[in-house]
Amino acid sequence: MTSFLEITVRLAVWLLLAPLLPGIINKVKAWVAGRRGPPLLQLYYDLAKLWRKGVVLSTLASPGFLAATAFSWVAVLAAALLLPLGPWGTSLSFRGDVLLLVYLLALARFCTAGAALETGSAFEGMGAAREVSYAVLAEAAIITAVLTLSVQSRSLSLEAMLAPSAGAGAALLAAGLFTVLLAENCRVPFDDPNTHLELTMIHEVMVLDHSGPALAAVLHGAAMKLLLFSALLVQAVLPVGTLPAAAAVGVLFGGVLAVAVGVGLVESLLARYAFRRVPLLLTTAFLLCVFALLVAWKGGAA
Amino acid sequence: MSVSHLLILSACGLLLSLATAMRSSRAWLATSLAGVLSALGAAIFTLLSNGGWEWQSSFRIGGETLHLRLDGVSALFLALVAVLGGVVVSYSREYWAEAAHPRSAPRGRFWLSLMLLAMGLLLLCSNGLHFLLAWELFALCGYFLITLDGRLREVRAAGWLYFAASHAGTLALFAFFAMLAARTGSWELGPMQTQAELAPLFWLALFGFGVKAGLFPLHIWLPSAHANAPSHVSAILSGVAIKMGIYGIVRFSGWLPAPAGAGWVVVGLGVVSAVLGVAFALGQHDLKRLLAYHSVENIGIILMGIGFAMVAAAHGHAAWGALALAGGLLHVWNHGLFKGLLFLGAGSVLHATGTREMNRLGGLWRAMPWTAALFALGAAAIAGLPPLNGFVSEWLLYLGMFDAVNQPGAAVAGAIPAIILLAVTGALALACFVKVCGVVFLGAPRSPAAEHAHECGRWMRGSMGVLAAGCAAIGLLPVAFWPAVRSAVAAWRGATESSPAPESLTTLSFIHVALALAGGGAALWLRRQARRGGWARAGTWDCGYAAPTARMQYTAGSFAGIITEWFAWILRPERHAFRPQGPFPPRAAFHEHTPETVLERVLEPVAKAVLAVSSAARRLQHGRVHAYILYLMSGLAVLAALTFFWGR
Repeated sequence: MTSFLEITVRLAVWLLLAPLLPGIINKVKAWVAGRRGPPLLQLYYDLAKLWRKGVVLSTLASPGFLAATAFSWVAVLAAALLLPLGPWGTSLSFRGDVLLLVYLLALARFCTAGAALETGSAFEGMGAAREVSYAVLAEAAIITAVLTLSVQSRSLSLEAMLAPSAGAGAALLAAGLFTVLLAENCRVPFDDPNTHLELTMIHEVMVLDHSGPALAAVLHGAAMKLLLFSALLVQAVLPVGTLPAAAAVGVLFGGVLAVAVGVGLVESLLARYAFRRVPLLLTTAFLLCVFALLVAWKGGAA
Repeated sequence: MSVSHLLILSACGLLLSLATAMRSSRAWLATSLAGVLSALGAAIFTLLSNGGWEWQSSFRIGGETLHLRLDGVSALFLALVAVLGGVVVSYSREYWAEAAHPRSAPRGRFWLSLMLLAMGLLLLCSNGLHFLLAWELFALCGYFLITLDGRLREVRAAGWLYFAASHAGTLALFAFFAMLAARTGSWELGPMQTQAELAPLFWLALFGFGVKAGLFPLHIWLPSAHANAPSHVSAILSGVAIKMGIYGIVRFSGWLPAPAGAGWVVVGLGVVSAVLGVAFALGQHDLKRLLAYHSVENIGIILMGIGFAMVAAAHGHAAWGALALAGGLLHVWNHGLFKGLLFLGAGSVLHATGTREMNRLGGLWRAMPWTAALFALGAAAIAGLPPLNGFVSEWLLYLGMFDAVNQPGAAVAGAIPAIILLAVTGALALACFVKVCGVVFLGAPRSPAAEHAHECGRWMRGSMGVLAAGCAAIGLLPVAFWPAVRSAVAAWRGATESSPAPESLTTLSFIHVALALAGGGAALWLRRQARRGGWARAGTWDCGYAAPTARMQYTAGSFAGIITEWFAWILRPERHAFRPQGPFPPRAAFHEHTPETVLERVLEPVAKAVLAVSSAARRLQHGRVHAYILYLMSGLAVLAALTFFWGR
């Protein structure tokens, strides 16, 4: 019974808190630009409105279009549920759960890109092609970060891997993971979440033909993914698991907030990069993770 | 019933099916299904009883007593042969039916039954001489099956290439078994790790079996053979025939003493096959050729498991080696299931549209919903996505490699790049299968052929359904399949201790089931919510573009363009562009073709050079007797000069 209650609470945290993060980022951007900006809870209003609306489907779309959107959302949620949350840990910790997390995100990507190709639009095909291509580099960076944490903690379950700090290579790992966070969550400088009529988008362009509840699922899934990556980054770098519970909660929330502010600042101060530079930036992120791995490996051996 | 009874029953069934193949397709179907089902029974019985079965004849064949043995390793492969054999037999009944192929259908049935029989024999034989006989029979059946439709030039060329490559491998195997027999004094096979002088022979076995397995760069025969064979034959080739090569490598890496560094060579070959296999696949626009390159990729993943097991054995039989081997061996099953499914799906597409060219397909889900759905499931499975079977085997392999990293020893430096490259392979395979599903089944039809496609019949759908169910079953309940894998791992080096299931496998099962249920539930919920709010259909919005046409869609080449550009150093794509010129350009075109680099850029130039030298040397032979006398005289003079000056 307690486990049922626990899962419900955990679900509520992920489902209800996630849409806050884009609001914070937008507030930061507005503040830097000297605007008032949209309300903090704007995404909640949008989701509620979209969920009640009807849906316009492309004549080409198969029943798989909505199914893939739903599966993608469930995959992100499942990945989020695997992630420990500071002192609360995770409800299901097992050896190798970190790999399941990485591959659940891949499942979400498979579904999103597949749904994009349903519409037969060149535009969305372009977005899907970019998404799956750049994900190759992002995945290399993520698995290297996982290796770093695994070498650091001599373990292969998220709870044990994320408890201590990332050791001497923490700064390198933080920089690498932050870059991957920006790329995987379609933020500047990889992608521009504000434009909808640019040939230069990746994620946003894939969901052009989603509408109503399907678009709500996509937006909510994206918000959860952002929260997932932020929480992962904070716990990977800071020794959240070794602190007393109250401090750990504070550090976790403060850290996630700091990541959101950081994303907002990057978005305000940087322009989107040209596409040919995206692979270079992702390769840099991969190399940062490789150096963090080398520090963890050789530092641990010494 | 014991294993012997089941095997006799299976042999009788297959022999009867050989006899009936030429006459009645119904009797053939019944007898061969009975044959493969009893073989499956024998394999399952052996795997679950965790023991072996042996039998020696009192008579001799070729001067040797017939020695049959079924242990965990061979039972694992026998089960795959049986399952895929049964499925392909039922599929071919409709796919290569008498009505459409009056001449080749009976022949196809005969060679298919004979090939299944030969593979079964090959897995059972425990005598080098008989093994070679079965191997040769199996290779020949492959040739006749590939060239079933021999009217087409490229089919004959593919068959010839298969024949030549296969026999290059067989030559190495002749040398291997002959030298093994010469050094041990007997053709009998079995564990012989203690005889250290046999170690160098492993390299010969690796080459000989590697050609059949299709590891990079010995895969040259594989793409054209898989692409040009009838699709049910492609499924057999990719699903089980290349696994016979893997069987050989597994068997002799377990039985022979491994030379120093052999494990790392196998790991290296595996990593190279995995990454380059998928890179070449991305460059293809022929559906079946693309799937063929994915076989190279998956063989690479399997080899990584075997290689790490060998490394672990060399470092003192660490537990992580067993995990990696379990991953590799489970991937043998998994690859057989999902690649069989994908090739059968490709066969249905070919059957319905008459083309393998992906850029002429599109939007097929409308006409072929079953094929599209089953193919998509196979695609998700081969991309290693949870909750399907591909993820389970890759996950076991990852566990083994991560354990190698976390234990002090020389394996760390090799395991780290292998892990990273396995992840990259996974992401590349995902990209490739998004491309295949999207270009073939989704969007708008790109040609009239795709527009007028039709769903395949019940037998073909049912066969694909069985394989899809297998993929889902291993994915959702991996714990149920663990005992089989465990007994194969234990039999690998004749060890008696068997590793218990990793406790996390149960948790993984649970999460996979929950994920599948939640995904299905969410899909229904989203659909209901969308219906409630009002449901409208309209042309693709596409940022308001008014008149999109099917030709504007992303093609296979454009989808993979970014990644093939990264791999252009090895793919060497050939591009022919006719750019539009002037204010009213009459025509413009763009063709891109990815050649088989190893074959066309390495092997063919070398072969051409050899032929040029040979034909130059041939000029000496022209039939003029006086010139021959001159050769003799000058030869004698040179010999005389040599003995005169240096001979003293």
